[in-house]
Amino acid sequence: MGKYTLGEFEEVVMLTVAILYENAYGITIKEEIEKRLDRKVSVGAMRTALSRLEKKKFLKSEFGEATAVRGGKRKRYFKVTPEGKDVLEQVMETRKQLWNAIPSVSFDFKFA
Amino acid sequence: MSSQSGHQPFSWVSRFLRWFCHPELIEDIEGDLLELFDQRATDNVLKAKFRHVVDVLLLCRPGIIRDLTYSNNNFNTIDMVKNYLKSAWRNLVKHRGFSAINIFSLSIGMSACLIIFLFVKDERSFDAMHQKNIYRLCEIQSFQGTNTQSVALSTPGMGPTIIEEFPEVEAYTRINPFGSQLVDTKGKKLKVDQVAAVDSTFFEIFDYQLINGDRNTLLDGVMDAVLTESVAMNMYNDTNVIGESFILDGNSYIVRGVMEDFPENSHIQYDLLISMSTIMQNQPNFNTYFESNFVNTYLVINENADIKKMADRFPDYLVKASGDENFSDFMQIFLQPLNEVHLASTDIEHDYQNYRKFNGEYLGAFLLVGLFILLIASVNFMNLTTARASNRAKEIGVRKTIGALKKQLFYQFILESVMLSFMALVIAITFTVISLPLLNNLIDRELNLTNMLMDPMISIVILSTTILIGVIAGVYPALYLSSFKPVIILKGFKTFEKKSVFRSSLVVLQFSLALGMIVSTLVVVQQLRYMKNKDIGFNKDHILLVELNSEAGSKYKQIKQELQKRSNILGVTASGQRLGNNFHQWGFKAKLDTAIVGITPSNVHVDYNYLDVYDIKLKSGRKFSEDFATDNGLAFIVNEAFAEELGFDEPLGKKVGHSWYPDDSLGTIIGVTENFNFNSLHFKVNTLSMVVHEDWNYSEMSVKINGANIQAAIAEVEDVYNQFVMDYPIEYEFLDKHFEELYKSDQQMGSVITIVAILSIIIGCMGLFGLASISIRRRIKEVGIRKVMGASGQQLMYLLSRNFAVMILISFMIATPFTYIFMSGWLESFAFRTQINPFLFVGGGIMSLVIALTTVSYHVLKAINANPVKALKYE
Repeated sequence: MGKYTLGEFEEVVMLTVAILYENAYGITIKEEIEKRLDRKVSVGAMRTALSRLEKKKFLKSEFGEATAVRGGKRKRYFKVTPEGKDVLEQVMETRKQLWNAIPSVSFDFKFA
Repeated sequence: MSSQSGHQPFSWVSRFLRWFCHPELIEDIEGDLLELFDQRATDNVLKAKFRHVVDVLLLCRPGIIRDLTYSNNNFNTIDMVKNYLKSAWRNLVKHRGFSAINIFSLSIGMSACLIIFLFVKDERSFDAMHQKNIYRLCEIQSFQGTNTQSVALSTPGMGPTIIEEFPEVEAYTRINPFGSQLVDTKGKKLKVDQVAAVDSTFFEIFDYQLINGDRNTLLDGVMDAVLTESVAMNMYNDTNVIGESFILDGNSYIVRGVMEDFPENSHIQYDLLISMSTIMQNQPNFNTYFESNFVNTYLVINENADIKKMADRFPDYLVKASGDENFSDFMQIFLQPLNEVHLASTDIEHDYQNYRKFNGEYLGAFLLVGLFILLIASVNFMNLTTARASNRAKEIGVRKTIGALKKQLFYQFILESVMLSFMALVIAITFTVISLPLLNNLIDRELNLTNMLMDPMISIVILSTTILIGVIAGVYPALYLSSFKPVIILKGFKTFEKKSVFRSSLVVLQFSLALGMIVSTLVVVQQLRYMKNKDIGFNKDHILLVELNSEAGSKYKQIKQELQKRSNILGVTASGQRLGNNFHQWGFKAKLDTAIVGITPSNVHVDYNYLDVYDIKLKSGRKFSEDFATDNGLAFIVNEAFAEELGFDEPLGKKVGHSWYPDDSLGTIIGVTENFNFNSLHFKVNTLSMVVHEDWNYSEMSVKINGANIQAAIAEVEDVYNQFVMDYPIEYEFLDKHFEELYKSDQQMGSVITIVAILSIIIGCMGLFGLASISIRRRIKEVGIRKVMGASGQQLMYLLSRNFAVMILISFMIATPFTYIFMSGWLESFAFRTQINPFLFVGGGIMSLVIALTTVSYHVLKAINANPVKALKYE
């Protein structure tokens, strides 16, 4: 863990970018999250997260070709960087360790 | 921003987004939002629009909003500005003639405005050096039988009594002038022009600078005197002369202080002051004396005092203080603030101590004129810059293609315009510095530009005005130029230069202003000429006025006798007062059928031959004659106004006299003159009575000289004078010179308006010249074709000049009513005035039409005479 910190929403965004692979840009990411997690995502929240992640170098982005749709504006495609992958794995690793450390009786709710 | 659905989000929202959003993020964010909008718009457009608004609002968060320190664009701004300046400069040099016209016309306007500003500021600076809340006590006299008049004089008793009655009055000082006096310093005799007695509070009230002496005790004692620096230097060649003594009018005075010369912008100007207590020694009633008005009184009033309420108590105070229950019937007093003395005393008469008095109403007119000319010049600047747009078209096209934003081009042209306006400012300052000495000479001022520029406030105002002119003049051209479509320009279409209504109306505005000023000039000149040539009822040409000091006065008869023997002297007479101002009004009485009535006409005592020398025409009766013993003091010659005032059908033989004559020994009216204008033409002719008193002193001798031989005549006068008068050097002035002084304010207004009118026409023409060059060059092909088809030179001339003539005609119609109203108002200030001649308008109109068409004709003729082959080949 150490220097890497990742918020819950950030993690979701990164995972979604990874899922979408070559087709990860603003709208698809937003839709994917909304579809899979069934929660509302505002463009603002998502875009801020993307920028922050890019700044932390967990994501990288490049413009696609301009098309007639979107008023001729280019799409910005995101990709997970190796660092991004590392941090995702670390997060998962930490979770796993935590899960493993839970004594089995903890989740035994029969006596609760 | 087009979208697939054909619908679009609110454009202001998009603009807002673009404004706050970080430039690196904007493209894809905007694209994302649009994509979303399109999806949503398929069900409900309005809902989509609102959700777009919400999305944009939710984007207002730290990661998205642009960095404050992050510049608008990524270009190196300084380099771009350098580039703008460079291309501006190259353009300037490439079109030298045009640029010169453009800059020069603006700098002429700026320079005129600067000078007017200097002038107004100088006038407004009068008496501003005093810190206390000072008022001048003035009177409104409404004596029976004379025009009601405001006068700057007061009685000696007013100052000392008003301070007793009114707690608001903190201090007073009076000035009792004595004119020029001979001063004797250890045998060295010197004439001092302006001597006055003042109360000891003078230097506590007025903040004049002292070189030596104690402000608080100055002039406290009898026989105390204060000298100005230059008089001290003349008398003693030193300013450190406290305790020295000198003799004035037989009395010995001691110098208690030396002050700096009165500043140029002080309405009070004296050379030597003596203490009022010296005067009061011999006149014990001085402080309660209400019989006659001859001092100027200044009061310091408490800052919180209500002047209006004080004024309500004045009538009661006057009755009480004077002990005359009717006093308020013929006399009111009012307080004139010190800062109005210089500029708002035009209607105040007997205002002898008001140095360089000026009609403050002209200042407003001057400022207006200054603003006008600046406006004309700015309009010109704007017009020429816009007209020159085609020269810049390619540059704009290329810049836009490379990626210049409209905004950048806009700033570029504003910057360029500001740069030009600064160049104009530099030239304007140079112009001003060069022309100020000439102008100072013409209007008799000491205007100084450097002093003014030292004032940081004013420098800031000037600089910001320059920037403002640059920006305002640049906005329209900048908008116009930056909106060019690069494709159209670069493809070589030149059709974007349409007839511009805007530009034409600017020319119309310019010419309306110029025309208004031309006509105003003509009206002013007409009035000035009217005043100069109006038959004022007496002869004022070739009259030399020689001052009669005490010595010359006592030898007047001998001097007169001797002078009359000389060949170039046509007549010699003398009087107590000078023509051209109002004469003093004295109490007078007349015996009517029923009773004796009082009347207060203007009075002057004269020598027997006064009417002859001045060619004053008698309507009836006879002139004064030494043959009648009663003509000394008991014979009066009155004017028609006087006779009418008293309702005399036959005034001759009626019994009249000075108010101090006993009722049973009055004099007789022996003659009635026509109403001649002894006062300035601003005023109506007042009632007048003339009398001879052999034993009274005359103040001045009037010598009528041979106009063909003026130099010789003056030499003769000097020669005779010097034979008789030892102590006093001769002082003389021509009467017509004195009359010029009277109308100086008017004359100066005339000069200023003339100059400004000429300048505005020049600026207007420069603008027209530039404009014509462009609009005619556009039609060069048309002219060529017409010529080939057989159009005659005249036809072409008509064709090309018609538009300009129409513009002048419209200007004429706009300018005429305004000018008429304004100038009628100005003429109102003269009791004797000329009518505005409608031909002045026609003349002014034709004049500007001719000037305009002549200006344009250069280009017109060039176009007409050009070889049509050349014109048509140029494709």
